[in-house]
Amino acid sequence: MLIPWRYRKRENSFIQSFDPRAWLIFYICFLFSALAFWDMRFLLPFFAGALFVLFTSGVKWHEIRRAFLFIVGFVFFFAVLTFLTGRGGVEHYTEEHLIHRFQASFSILGWVPALDITVERIVYALSQFLRVGSMAIMTILIPYSLNPALYGITFKGLGLNDKFAYAMDLTMRFIPTFARDFQLTVDAQRARGYELEKFSGGLIEQVRKMGPIFVPVVIHAIIGSEDIIDAMDLRAFGIGPRTWIDVLERKRRDRILIRFGVALLVISLALGILGYGGFWVPEAFLQLAGG
Amino acid sequence: MDKNLRSVLYSLVGILALMLFLILFLGNVLGISRFQTDQATLGLRLGFMFVGLLAVYAVYSFTKDSPAWEVGTRQVVWMAIGAALYAVFSWFFNATVFVVPSLSQVALRPAIAIPMFFGYAFGPVVGFFTGIVGNTFGDAISGFGLYPQWSVGNGLIGFIAGIPALFADRKRSLDTVLWVGGALTVLATVVYFLNRDQTNLMFFDPANNVFGDQPIALTAGISVLIGFVLVLIVRFAFGKNVDIAAAVTWGMLGNLIGIGYAAISDIWINGYSFAAAVVGEFLPAAGPNLIFAAILVPLLVVAYSAVQRQSGR
Repeated sequence: MLIPWRYRKRENSFIQSFDPRAWLIFYICFLFSALAFWDMRFLLPFFAGALFVLFTSGVKWHEIRRAFLFIVGFVFFFAVLTFLTGRGGVEHYTEEHLIHRFQASFSILGWVPALDITVERIVYALSQFLRVGSMAIMTILIPYSLNPALYGITFKGLGLNDKFAYAMDLTMRFIPTFARDFQLTVDAQRARGYELEKFSGGLIEQVRKMGPIFVPVVIHAIIGSEDIIDAMDLRAFGIGPRTWIDVLERKRRDRILIRFGVALLVISLALGILGYGGFWVPEAFLQLAGG
Repeated sequence: MDKNLRSVLYSLVGILALMLFLILFLGNVLGISRFQTDQATLGLRLGFMFVGLLAVYAVYSFTKDSPAWEVGTRQVVWMAIGAALYAVFSWFFNATVFVVPSLSQVALRPAIAIPMFFGYAFGPVVGFFTGIVGNTFGDAISGFGLYPQWSVGNGLIGFIAGIPALFADRKRSLDTVLWVGGALTVLATVVYFLNRDQTNLMFFDPANNVFGDQPIALTAGISVLIGFVLVLIVRFAFGKNVDIAAAVTWGMLGNLIGIGYAAISDIWINGYSFAAAVVGEFLPAAGPNLIFAAILVPLLVVAYSAVQRQSGR
């Protein structure tokens, strides 16, 4: 049984007012444009844009809460992790301005735990949060806004041939189904005493213990695919040029959105090439560290 | 060469030439810093993506008469299943990588067995689609963003795992593949021992006070070697079962080349040194992948063989 994404037609939804092809093109342009920058001044408009899309999407909080908290938590975790370790930012700055150094009053085998709070680490963590956060918000809204019935024709409209368009369509449809199957398998194995979090034994034993999760999910999916293959074969899939029940129509606002997305990408790339949008530390922050 | 094939090839070569022009001429000859290899990011990511696609296309164009390239109903469904499974497993293990105990400062990615298995079982097209689309969706739903060259690297893993489908005899070339894989393994391990202070760029475990700015442990450094030895054991222990031996051996080569391609591309994309790319990225990713290939792929091959016998398909 296929499990659908939580899509429904929403009233006054900004995303759903566009042709899905136009939105996907804009979404891809948005992602690659955001990737061009590390400067908070450039990233803030992207984040604000993503929030605008989120709040005008018509998606209710109770629908998106679980997925949203997971992704935002994940992004926040990474930003904090980068802040704590200072890793990642070293590609963008060479000098750090120390604001405060927290040092433990104890030592472990001669090592004294310490945490340096530096201007660059704070700014880098904020920049990372804005950058990844804006991309994640835009991504998470797609399954809630894009009609699954239009996946195939959308990818076809984006230039893929019929077979690959349909493969993309099926991929997007299968993801929630297999996620459900995966969770069911994990639960079933746990009921039999399988402890995913408690791997014991040697290295090889640890990896081998993943078999009871992997094999049932994969083999179940392959066995289930025979019904889908038969159904598609009975409808003569791939014999001739495919026709699609739904027809997408590109309106003026869709063309404007596409042009805006492409312009955004071109400008972002141009700015990046010209050296704008690199990692930037506000002067006010530097003063926190005494200049 | 038919018209479509020629036009696509010309397009790919044109894009590649443009990328090379931007990097080599504008960056290194005229000295425009944004095009220099240690500064550029996005353009280079796309450039490396095209290099990977070009490699796939080159293999296709030389062997396009093989039935392994046919894409029918079954391949379409298998592509979708493989990509969706890879995305789901990636999402799950990406999200729980911090609670699953790792080998030693190494992020576990058991999902890598999926493109290897799908590539071997269903051919290079299915393997490539599974790797590239599954990794893209997996990264997207995990909130990682998009990294085209890593997605293509994952696609290459599935693609190379599916290369045996081009041969009438699947046992053919196994020894050659082992020698090539062995040479790459030795090279990577030697680079590790020459650069043991190099930090691991891919693993963080705050609970155990392990951060990416620490040198990788010995077990992580030789994990590719451990993985390769496991592959050798599987290859010869299951020598009579051609499917297991070939799946693991080609999966091993796919992993070394696919992850190697993505890690090496970061020399230009992120400005890493060769040692940082190999020791900090390649070894922590490719080593555990080999261990998964040696253990999980045979399990999947055996289970799938049983299903084939049962269903008669």
